[in-house]
Amino acid sequence: MAFWRKRDRELDEEISSHLRMAAADLGEDAARREFGNIALVKEVTREMWGFASLGALMQDLRYAFRVLGKSPGYTLIAVLSLALGIGANTAIFSLIDSIMLKSLPVHNPGELVSLGDPSAVGWVHGGDIGNVSIFSYPFYQRFRQQNGVFTGVYATGVSERINLEESAEHPLARLVSDNYFSVLGVAPLLGRTFAPGEQSAAVISYAYWDRHFQRAPDVIGRKHRINGASFTIVGVTPRDFFGDIVGYQSDMWFPIEAQPLANYGRNYLNDPKTQWLLLMGRLKPGISLAQAAAVSNAVGIRILQEEGASSSPDDLKALAAKRIAVQPAAAGFSRIRRSFSKPLLMLMALVALILLICCTNVANLQLARAAGRTREIGLRLAIGASRPRLLRQLMTESLALAVLGGAAGLLVAALVGHLLLRLVARDNRLPIDFHLEWTTLLFTGALSIAASLFFGLAPALNATRTSVASNLRESKSGRSGGAQRLERGLVVFQIVLSWVLLFGSGLFIRTLQNLEKSDVGYRRDRLIVAELNPAASGYRKEKLIQLGARLLDKLGNAPGVTKVTISENGLFSGTDSMSGVMVQGFVPRSDDDKISHADRVGPGYFETIGTPILAGRGIEARDMGDAPRVAVLNQSMARFYFPNSNPLGRRISTDDGKTWIDVVGVVRDAKQSGVRDAAGRRFYSQFAFSQDDPIGGIKLEIRVPGSTARAQELIRQEIRSVDPNLQIESISSAQALIDEELLQERLIAKLSSSFSLLALILTSIGLYGVMSYITQRRTVEVGIRMALGASQSSVVGIVLKETLLVTTAGLAIGVVVAAFLGRLVSGSLYGVAAFDPLTAVLTSVCILAAGLLASWLPARRASRIDPMVALRAD
Amino acid sequence: MPARKGYRNRIELLQGTLDMLVLQSLQWGPQHGYAISNAIRANSRELLQVETGSLYPALHRMEKQGWVKSEWKLTAANQRAKFYRLTPAGKKQLLSERDHWTRMVDAIAGVLNPAETPLESES
Repeated sequence: MAFWRKRDRELDEEISSHLRMAAADLGEDAARREFGNIALVKEVTREMWGFASLGALMQDLRYAFRVLGKSPGYTLIAVLSLALGIGANTAIFSLIDSIMLKSLPVHNPGELVSLGDPSAVGWVHGGDIGNVSIFSYPFYQRFRQQNGVFTGVYATGVSERINLEESAEHPLARLVSDNYFSVLGVAPLLGRTFAPGEQSAAVISYAYWDRHFQRAPDVIGRKHRINGASFTIVGVTPRDFFGDIVGYQSDMWFPIEAQPLANYGRNYLNDPKTQWLLLMGRLKPGISLAQAAAVSNAVGIRILQEEGASSSPDDLKALAAKRIAVQPAAAGFSRIRRSFSKPLLMLMALVALILLICCTNVANLQLARAAGRTREIGLRLAIGASRPRLLRQLMTESLALAVLGGAAGLLVAALVGHLLLRLVARDNRLPIDFHLEWTTLLFTGALSIAASLFFGLAPALNATRTSVASNLRESKSGRSGGAQRLERGLVVFQIVLSWVLLFGSGLFIRTLQNLEKSDVGYRRDRLIVAELNPAASGYRKEKLIQLGARLLDKLGNAPGVTKVTISENGLFSGTDSMSGVMVQGFVPRSDDDKISHADRVGPGYFETIGTPILAGRGIEARDMGDAPRVAVLNQSMARFYFPNSNPLGRRISTDDGKTWIDVVGVVRDAKQSGVRDAAGRRFYSQFAFSQDDPIGGIKLEIRVPGSTARAQELIRQEIRSVDPNLQIESISSAQALIDEELLQERLIAKLSSSFSLLALILTSIGLYGVMSYITQRRTVEVGIRMALGASQSSVVGIVLKETLLVTTAGLAIGVVVAAFLGRLVSGSLYGVAAFDPLTAVLTSVCILAAGLLASWLPARRASRIDPMVALRAD
Repeated sequence: MPARKGYRNRIELLQGTLDMLVLQSLQWGPQHGYAISNAIRANSRELLQVETGSLYPALHRMEKQGWVKSEWKLTAANQRAKFYRLTPAGKKQLLSERDHWTRMVDAIAGVLNPAETPLESES
């Protein structure tokens, strides 16, 4: 930079020294006269410095901004268009960056590897040994000591909901091993991290320290009552540390050993069958990922085999074949990474198309403007400006536009990004800390430059192609045929893009509608699901049985309740159980044949949720207590195991044939998770309070006569009246639970439809602009026609015909393109074909209507032309 | 967009000769722009007037091409000015341009006065 400034200064000095010497000889005025236009001499001289000269570039930029400043309307529209396009792209990109690409803010994240499934955040798996996605605490303790490939391995597990005594807030917390911070290489901002064996200590995040303690420096050592237990705050983490899970910004961390304290009533620590920990290791120097994977598997599988020594030989054989996934984990764990990667990439493609439409609009504006500048350009060519030089000038103008658009786009991006996150936020908390970073700025810069090339090059080439003489000779109505063809081509291109976008969003909307309407196998209206956690409130064995009876009795007799029942897993409430099954008279062909979904439900369950009983009976009051276990199969399970026979009276076993359970009924399939997925095989047996406390607490299903909104409050009061201290995890309508399941689908439908609406508007603006210019150019022609007696309506017809031509061309190409692209999204669709004719027709009608609307004004303007004025116009 | 005067056109028109004239003026030692333009005018008996709009671009271009080098020095009147000096490459360029020019003049003269250079075949 300094070099170019120096060169500029020296040129000034050289010229002023010339002028001084000439003035001494000829006098001031004569010297100036003889010298000529100083600025021009400077400019021409600067050009000699060559293309790479920044001085010339700055000069071009200054000139470009001056030219743009002269037509503020054009500049505003172009910059706004670009800001929308670039902003939307930047927002989606920065979300992709933060969720999928960015490394954790820890020491040397490249050395981190995850063991198991890095997206298994929030899982607690109770049951058999042999899970390789998520691990038990005993497993972790042995693995930590026995592997030799990591400098450290830490474990982190989900904590139950955190209740504070003095606030209604539920902070997000993780239970972590004592070496968590040291393996990550995160030093506390204040205080210290955990000491080995420590229990009632907590490390809090910067954000929580700020929010809850107003950044009081004496927070260290304070006691905090959490879930009824007292914890001492020992440390505060640095500001940028949000934990190791992308999409889950932890407020606090507890030592794993504090699990029974933080989650009162449950102890995960000594049971190898409770798998709930994610593991992360830091590679020793010189150890490759492959080596680490080999050693981890050898060690890990051996530990699992030893833990499951009492399992059947078949299970042990299956265990030996399992593999623990060992993957680079610089970007940390994440649940949302897996669920949102595909939608985000789809959105990225969507906004890229939007940007193309925006650029096309600007290109069209430039073409139109170039028409007004043909004489200026012709003149510059005539006085000897070279074509490359002019091209450079025009491209600099485009670049200036793109730079302005990009800068404004950053503002749009910040807005759009926050808006998008709000849509997925729960409890008013953003899943990630969204701010624009240098990677994003880089992306935006590159995008702006690419955009300027895209929308600037063709018009610039077009503008400088024509010969000097013809340009000067031509009048304002004389636009080169090339520009017209290019203009129409660009509009057709825009229509194709809008058609594809609109069609795609149509498919997603129909998918959402189908999913919302889809049959889940029970009556979702007027049904409420309440989730309770009696274990956390101290209920055990006998007391638990009494509580259950009292709850069912109290709610069953409440005035606003029609029916009530109880179950282990709810409907779309996030928990499910699997069970091994053996079926009398059925020979399994694979391991998959030996498992089934399972649930334990109270009397009247099917009647309450509204699932028809197809044969036999449901679970009834007589099955409760000490009655023998019975099983009710869903239709899928009945068909699978008893394809040609009546399942009633047959028997199944869940403990490898030690005990057998009678099948007493068959019910319709009811979905408990995944609206898209088939229900799968499932059997129900009676709920037993005396059994081990289920991990997810218990669920009450309540049928109400009227509005669920009012009933929810009533139910809360009824539960409170049984025991005010009973922990209520949630009370929601079945509809709301299904809606939450469809959050992602709704998001895609919403975003794609708003983006395609934006595309339609942009295309209409583009069409309007082009039709206006075409009409204006044909002023003389229209004037002649009208002078010769053409009616106003026939003039309107001329313009509309042109629109129809362009639009139908776009439609036709759009249909072909969509037919090809449809296959890409078919996996995301539900109940609608990738090329749905109805959606195609609706889309075409929309586009045609928008096109005609956009050209209506120019057409009307043309029809109002006064022939005399028109003929004199040129 | 204001109309430009046709400086660049004339640069192109005079380019070959202007470079040669400038290089020739520098043969006797380093000189600044004003002196070069004065020298060309004086030596051409006021017939050739070099426009500044051609001279400075030419000087800067030739510097980039390596034919001249510039440095800031004081003039006889004790004023700071940018002096241009011929480089060895510039000297070579001057020789080749002069050679080219001489042959061009001879050829044109031959065309204009055919009688003075009779063709051999007719004797």
